Amino acid sequence: MSFLGKIFTWWNGATIGTSLFTMRRGEKVGTDAQGNTYYRSRNKRDMTTAGSYIGAERRWVIYEGANDASRVPPEWHGWLHGSFDDVPESYLPPAKIWETEYVPNATGTADAYRPQGALERGGKRVKAVGDYEAWTPE
Amino acid sequence: MPKVTVDGQEIEVPNGATVLQACELAGKEIPRFCYHERLSIAGNCRMCLVEVKPGPPKPQASCALPATDGQEIRTDTDMVKTAREGVMEFLLINHPLDCPICDQGGECDLQDQSMMYGRGATRYEENKRAVTEKYMGPLIKTIMTRCIHCTRCVRFSEEIAGVDEIGAIYRGEDMQITTYLEQAASHELSANVIDLCPVGALTSRPYAFEARPWELKKTWSIDVSDAVGANIRLDSRGREVMRALPRINDAVNEEWLSDKGRYQVDGLSRRRLDKVYIRKDGKLVPAEWNEAFAAIAAANPKGSIAAVAGDLVDCETMFAAKALLGALGSDHLEGRQTGLDYDCSNLAAVNFNSTFEGIENADAILIVGSQVRWEAALVNVRLRKAAKRGAKIFVVGPQWDTTYPATFLGEDAAVLHDLPQAITEAFSKAERPAVIVGGGGLAKGALHPALAFAEQFNLVREGWNGFNVLHMAASRMGGLMLGYAQKGGIGNIAKAKPNVLISLGADELDYGAFADSLKVYIGHHGDAGAHAADIILPGASYAEKDGTYVNTEGRVQFAEKAVFAPGDAREDWTILRAMADALDVSVGFDSFAELQSAMIAAVPALGEEGLADFGQLPNADASIRASGAISYPIADFYMTNVVARASATMQRCSSELLHHDDLKEAAE
Amino acid sequence: MADRSLAPDTPELRERWGGFAFTEANKAHADKVIARYPDGRQKSAVMPLLDLAQRQVGAETDTQGWLPLPVIEYVAAYLDVPVIRVLEVATFYFMYNLRPVGKYHVQVCGTTPCMLRGSDAIMEACKARGMKKGAVSEDGLWTLTEVECMGSCATAPMVQINDGNYEDLTPERLDAVLDALAAGKDPKEGTQEPGRHTSEPSGGPTTLKEMVSENHDYRSQW
Repeated sequence: MSFLGKIFTWWNGATIGTSLFTMRRGEKVGTDAQGNTYYRSRNKRDMTTAGSYIGAERRWVIYEGANDASRVPPEWHGWLHGSFDDVPESYLPPAKIWETEYVPNATGTADAYRPQGALERGGKRVKAVGDYEAWTPE
Repeated sequence: MPKVTVDGQEIEVPNGATVLQACELAGKEIPRFCYHERLSIAGNCRMCLVEVKPGPPKPQASCALPATDGQEIRTDTDMVKTAREGVMEFLLINHPLDCPICDQGGECDLQDQSMMYGRGATRYEENKRAVTEKYMGPLIKTIMTRCIHCTRCVRFSEEIAGVDEIGAIYRGEDMQITTYLEQAASHELSANVIDLCPVGALTSRPYAFEARPWELKKTWSIDVSDAVGANIRLDSRGREVMRALPRINDAVNEEWLSDKGRYQVDGLSRRRLDKVYIRKDGKLVPAEWNEAFAAIAAANPKGSIAAVAGDLVDCETMFAAKALLGALGSDHLEGRQTGLDYDCSNLAAVNFNSTFEGIENADAILIVGSQVRWEAALVNVRLRKAAKRGAKIFVVGPQWDTTYPATFLGEDAAVLHDLPQAITEAFSKAERPAVIVGGGGLAKGALHPALAFAEQFNLVREGWNGFNVLHMAASRMGGLMLGYAQKGGIGNIAKAKPNVLISLGADELDYGAFADSLKVYIGHHGDAGAHAADIILPGASYAEKDGTYVNTEGRVQFAEKAVFAPGDAREDWTILRAMADALDVSVGFDSFAELQSAMIAAVPALGEEGLADFGQLPNADASIRASGAISYPIADFYMTNVVARASATMQRCSSELLHHDDLKEAAE
Repeated sequence: MADRSLAPDTPELRERWGGFAFTEANKAHADKVIARYPDGRQKSAVMPLLDLAQRQVGAETDTQGWLPLPVIEYVAAYLDVPVIRVLEVATFYFMYNLRPVGKYHVQVCGTTPCMLRGSDAIMEACKARGMKKGAVSEDGLWTLTEVECMGSCATAPMVQINDGNYEDLTPERLDAVLDALAAGKDPKEGTQEPGRHTSEPSGGPTTLKEMVSENHDYRSQW
């Protein structure tokens, strides 16, 4: 990412301020399959001071790419939100073979779900009330 | 007149009434499944138990118990309550709890009554009985596990329809309702068993899983599939008519409806005319309304315009067309598309004077050229009732399967002039003799010979008029009242060679005779008329407009609009009103109300719902002789009008029931 | 209850029985039965005619007889009654067999009085001879059916074989009867208990004892 891009945009990865904060106070904990990096505060004094997490360890993520919260997979979601203390690799049981890979929310992308009858799917839909078949001379 | 006491209330009931009827008269609701007013009493569901004194100290089935003087009936005691709960519990033992996926849900007697009279919860833990589905044809869907063995369907097909095809085989718990070898039920009233079934065992196949009763808007309408004018209720959701059900009208259809009237409604969403077409270079191309009107004006309709009414149009449409023609200086009106030209100078002579209710009481009936079962299935039910009461019935015309004993007198209409002795004998003895002339008879000039027959046997007497004409088109009587009858019939109009021919949904017409006219088709379905037309103006079907219809008895009835017409289609009268503007003439009405009052001013009888009075029968013209072999106009019961021809259900009925194409579904 | 269902309507069935018609003798009998009822009520004769038809089928196949669909249709046409009405009757009564049966249709009563008196052993004895419920045995002789009360409780246990009742049975007595039937003989019907005549109390009468030998006049004792 270009330097100017880093200065003027916020939608990919950390801003300069966040990067500096992370460098100063953060301790890297791990990375997920998508390359998002997870941090926690290095210093015990840096506890959260707001909401129901008062006194809890401060944890955050720096995205590899778009800042889209749905890109955090469930196992890291649990860690990020304090559901468990350890990192997912050591805390959670190994993934089962039938578990599918996590997919971030596709809304607004080309992969988004289109219901039957949507124009993007050809506009064909099942018969609904009030439909009629018009006569044509042929 | 026995006097009985129902729950402490003393009432007088008619002779021969049952205890159940006495309770009804006293305003007490008695739950029932097998009992039905129009069927014989079976007494096998046991739901109508009440306590009766004097009598054994146990609950009694009220439907089968005659009310006698001094009876003390209780419907509100603990004994009755427990008895009902017990019966309901037994009925539910083998009834599946599949209301959420049952089409009867929401209009199910068992559901309602178990809520009202049943126990709160089940105690039953054993296995339930299951019964295989039975095939009963393209209209009736069966889920026989739900059957509670009330035998209403068996009694209906035996007693009302007169076609013994449904029966109960095996016995006890194994009893199953079926047709013989699961053949399709194939008479014209078969679908009425769906209404009769108090549970979801017999449901409507075309309507399966389409809608729930509480989603539907109910509109009171009139059936146009034949000239009986059965009272129907159109159930619509949004812009679509989902189904048609009979309304109760004892004078017309009792509570039955022919299969065609019931199931042609799916034709209302197929083959619809939804835009204006104009023929350019021999091809119909979509166009705008004003182009179409300009083309009509260019054809110089003034004084040279004719209107032909189709079989399904309402009186208002016909009157609007008549007003337009009048403003243009023409009176070329005709409704009898197939070329009939019987004498319409006196409408009493072309009316069903006995009325449907009256014909039940006739004791000798001569049918001239009418296959009543197909031409008016509900009238055949009345004739069957008359036959059961001992009426002697004779038919002139080719053989058809009456559902009652009838004597066929051959196909030649000339038999009217040379009556066999059996007829003269039966009619001279009869107290209420009647003659019914059908379309096939009218075509062979049987109208006046029948009038002569009426004179000969004194068919019109104190309190009885036995002269009847049975029409087949819903618009016929209304059209005749509005003057849609030329001397010489349609041939006369063809001879006049009008510049413009307005066809109000006339699809049976031979358009070849109007090769030089600009043919304007105002209608709702693309059929023969649309293919022959030069200009197509999309109109509304019977479900899509308010309108007055007159049935073959001369009964004026009003139908309401259920849904909107599709696409660019408009209610017919508005098209004619707009055409008047385009042709620069005035028809004298700007709204439907004004149109109606103008129509009623012209023909006062159309303003009053009920039987129109056409006065005395005319004298017979003895010089008119009936001759020739009679043939019936209807070749296919399920395909008689444009809506039915467009209906997938009717097409399936026609091919499967009449032409026996093998469309039977694999067992579901 | 017996498990009953119609024999399937196959082309073979149609071919075998499609041409069914009453024999001259049966026709005469059928018309005599019909004549018992008033004009127009000929459908009242449906049950005797079905029985007659079943017997004729039995005679033709050397079995007790049964009612194939074409035969039911023939009876319906003979009486001018809708065939579904005749089918209703034929499927209602268990005496009409809806499937082929053997030469001897052994109907073992299994209702309470017979069961208490040992009908289970009777049933076992039948099965031991190779009979199976609802099926024709391999030699074509036997069809076994368990039926409900036949009204012979005083002489339980009993079996009904074709038109005859065999009562007071033990497995041995039943075997004797069945052996005799298999050998083409005509075993004595009714009670199989030596010394018992009909359904009088076993061990001799306890009341009206004088009536046994002669028509005694009891009026003097009233």
